[in-house]
Amino acid sequence: MARRRKSLAPKGRDDDVRMIAGFAIGSILTAIMILVVIIAPPATIGPSEGELAPDFSSDAYSGASWENFRLSDTFDYEWDEGEQGEWILIQFIDTDCPYCWNEGETMSNLYAQWSSDVEFITVAVELSISGHDSNRQEIEAFRDKTNYGTGENDGDGCNSGRNNCIDRPGTVHEWDYVEATSGMMKDWEISGTPFLAILKPDGYVAWNQYENNGESIEDAMQRVVGGSQ
Amino acid sequence: MNEALTDPILLAFIGGLLMSTYFMFTGPLNTTKLLISSLGFAGVGIISSTYTYIIHNKMVVQGTTSFCSSEGIVQCGSVIGDPNWNNLFGIPWGIFGIASFSLLIFLSLSLYLDRHAKWAENYLNYSWFASLAGLPFVMLLVGIELTQVEGAPHICPFCTVAHISLIGYVIAIYYLKKNKDTGKWIDQE
Repeated sequence: MARRRKSLAPKGRDDDVRMIAGFAIGSILTAIMILVVIIAPPATIGPSEGELAPDFSSDAYSGASWENFRLSDTFDYEWDEGEQGEWILIQFIDTDCPYCWNEGETMSNLYAQWSSDVEFITVAVELSISGHDSNRQEIEAFRDKTNYGTGENDGDGCNSGRNNCIDRPGTVHEWDYVEATSGMMKDWEISGTPFLAILKPDGYVAWNQYENNGESIEDAMQRVVGGSQ
Repeated sequence: MNEALTDPILLAFIGGLLMSTYFMFTGPLNTTKLLISSLGFAGVGIISSTYTYIIHNKMVVQGTTSFCSSEGIVQCGSVIGDPNWNNLFGIPWGIFGIASFSLLIFLSLSLYLDRHAKWAENYLNYSWFASLAGLPFVMLLVGIELTQVEGAPHICPFCTVAHISLIGYVIAIYYLKKNKDTGKWIDQE
């Protein structure tokens, strides 16, 4: 009588253990999520009102030299609603954009009125438009109102090369001009310049130009910053 | 000595890595030990990734954290706190670490629970290729730490634990594949 040969190859388990492994990793991930939410819940970061402003780090021109600048270094994380604190007005411009050229005077007036309560920051971006090529010399000249360009509409200078930067409306801007890095416009969801936002002293967005169509920056400063002092 | 290197949590992570390494290399390289070792490396990897994600959240919301030093060459503050380099497409690196090590744990755990299943060889290959795919990111992140972050060079100790975890995992899976290819998949008693 022939005997049945026992197979030598080991056989896997009858149940599908992948389900058990799946549940195990699901449990681990749930525990991790709970732990993170308890210890350090993630902040909602973005340019919309109520969100924590997207941080950036880049070189900034202060009038004398270019030095590293980090937006979050200006935040006062201890600040509470209703307390005194230094608010932040952040402006995104392109030195070749005509609207930014004209807004130079508005910014000078705002600085004259609010510089004791508000930190002013201008971020110089370069829009992907023909004739909007920029460089550090142009940014410096735009800020300082110094000689750069010809004053003829020949593509040389500020305002798409229409003007010499020395003729920019307003006074010399006494605050930091930050050179934009790639990704900054995307993080701030900026579709065009100029763009303005007011940040609370702790870095949360209090006012976003895109969300307040029709309200001027002067009125916004009065309502948001003036009203909270 | 740099205070970051004496952090008890960092020492616990290093202990986990040493245990996983010790487990892998003491005695013969049998399949059970290698699978447990790979789970150990992936476990340290997922916990250290979670820790870096917690540090990231603290840095973003509070500007600072007591969880890791911000001074010296070995520190997290200038690495995890650097807004230009602490994320990929806006997603913190810690999240990528958690997701990647979750996948590796799932694959190793499935193999550990049933190494003779029909899918076992495929899962071993998935573990191999998935872990290898992580190595270029480790090199990229080390490069960023050493050359790109504010005040570079810096070494983020908790990030390094996650990097070493992945390298340890790759080594464990390499020996597992070797066992499979040389007919040593079944442990010899």
